Amino acid sequence: MKTYLAIIAMDIRLALRLRAVIFFNYLFPLIFFFAFAMFMGRDQGNIAYVVRMSVTLGVLGSGFFGAGIRAIQERELNILRRYKVTPITPAPLLVGSMVTGWIIFLPYIVLLLLLAHYLYHMQLPAHMFDLLVFISLGLIAFRALGLVIASVANTMQEGTILVQLFYFPMLLLGGATIPEEGFRGVMKTIHEFVPATYLVRGMRGMMANGQTLVENWLPTLALVVTTLVGGLIALKLFRWEKEEKIRSSAKWWVLVVLLPFIVMGVLNRLGWLKWPSQ
Amino acid sequence: MSTSPVIQVQALEKRYDKVEAVKGIDFQVAEGEVFGLLGPNGAGKTSTIEILEGLRPRTGGEARVLGFDPDRQTQQLKDRIGVCLQATNLPAKIRVHEALDLFGSFYTRSISTEQLLKRLQLWEKRAAFYETLSGGQKQRLALALALVNDPQLLFLDEPTTGLDPQIRLEIHGLIEEMKSEKRTVVLTTHYIEEAERLCDRVAIIDEGKIVAMGTPRELQQKSREQSRIDIVTAQPLNAAALPQWPEALESKLDEDGRSLTVYSSRPARTLFEIMRWLDQQGLQLEDVHLKRPTLEDVFVELTGKKLRD
Repeated sequence: MKTYLAIIAMDIRLALRLRAVIFFNYLFPLIFFFAFAMFMGRDQGNIAYVVRMSVTLGVLGSGFFGAGIRAIQERELNILRRYKVTPITPAPLLVGSMVTGWIIFLPYIVLLLLLAHYLYHMQLPAHMFDLLVFISLGLIAFRALGLVIASVANTMQEGTILVQLFYFPMLLLGGATIPEEGFRGVMKTIHEFVPATYLVRGMRGMMANGQTLVENWLPTLALVVTTLVGGLIALKLFRWEKEEKIRSSAKWWVLVVLLPFIVMGVLNRLGWLKWPSQ
Repeated sequence: MSTSPVIQVQALEKRYDKVEAVKGIDFQVAEGEVFGLLGPNGAGKTSTIEILEGLRPRTGGEARVLGFDPDRQTQQLKDRIGVCLQATNLPAKIRVHEALDLFGSFYTRSISTEQLLKRLQLWEKRAAFYETLSGGQKQRLALALALVNDPQLLFLDEPTTGLDPQIRLEIHGLIEEMKSEKRTVVLTTHYIEEAERLCDRVAIIDEGKIVAMGTPRELQQKSREQSRIDIVTAQPLNAAALPQWPEALESKLDEDGRSLTVYSSRPARTLFEIMRWLDQQGLQLEDVHLKRPTLEDVFVELTGKKLRD
């Protein structure tokens, strides 16, 4: 426990010393929020939509760039190599990354909800705690996914390509930037398989319709499973040194992390899933 | 020096796909000994040391370090040893004292950060970010991190490579301090003077095999090269009048008659006799040099290549 706490405390300090972390975690999403809020007007539904978009942008950025790309950077710079000679396992480093991301991100969520409420009169969710737990699970799940990408990418170039392959489809097809009502045909089908869809759908139910975490048990479960599976895969495939290359076939492990969402996409298409009203 | 081995290695092998990096080497390191692995880049030094540190699994043979099997008791072993890696880094924005506190928290036993900072001459830099440190300060911090758990066994993998001569001397001083504290040190290097100055025993390693092992003096004595005595006198010498010095193998006098070179198998004895003869002849000595064969000479003889190849 001493090791976990020391790594988390250090990670938080290091993150807060980096201007890029402050900019991408706080300033950039806030600028984004204010710009869209001004553009879309003071309508309750529109503001809630902008909040969801800002949160999703932050969650995806934190997962793919904050956790994934940073882990690759630390390996490429031989920083992880120094940890390798100590008696610790990769577990505290992975847990530290997930917890640090959450601790840094949570104040932003609270701030965003309060700004939306006080400046734009958005009604606060009936079950605020449930919403915060749900977003937290989403953040940790996407950080786990980012860490899996870091563990299967042999170089920064590979990692960047993989991250872009996940980041942009999730941003554009998850229902955060383009509302899900706008998807038709093939796009609708793809939308059902995108993990971010379930994050956005859960947030929407809780923010707009006063739903609870229990009512959104399905996306909640998917996020929990993703966290656990992603965490285990990242642990199994963890590499301390850039010289330790992983075989190309190991990249398929990323799909294993996405399995809960693939299953949900299939069940959804078959009409076997019953969603609370959106 | 105690004779109980801290490290025992038998028929150690390491293969990377088709490349045999370590080809069945044997050696032991006793408690309190500074043991050097000397060889050119790619000789197998780092592979050997990393197997012993528990960083890489061996392909064959046996290894025990502090009684632990590095492959199977990795965490227990890492908790007891100190390691200074050849190429490593820390986060740019970590402060010096934070790095020591953080790494200290990973071990069951750790020593005071303040004590380490003062000892490694980093006290003034304790609040500095890692990115602002000079090369020498970074290396001192790397050594401080290796000492953070107060280990009795230290592995130093090319600790002075890439550093300028003055900083190299500073690091040598620190390693000598570790030696005086009776810590066991395994050092890899391709700097001859480092091995000669610091090591109690040296194993010369080339293409994955140990080609010679012993104290630096023993290895130098194995050399076919002879010690050379260079003498410069104020007055010219007469070549025909030069005596046959005891143990001298060959004498050469330069054209000016003032520079004499004598090759000897026992240079101290020969030099003493030369001095006595010069005194008897009333000749004034201006300069004298004694050059023994270096480990580099031994290495070249044994492997046919230079250490920096």
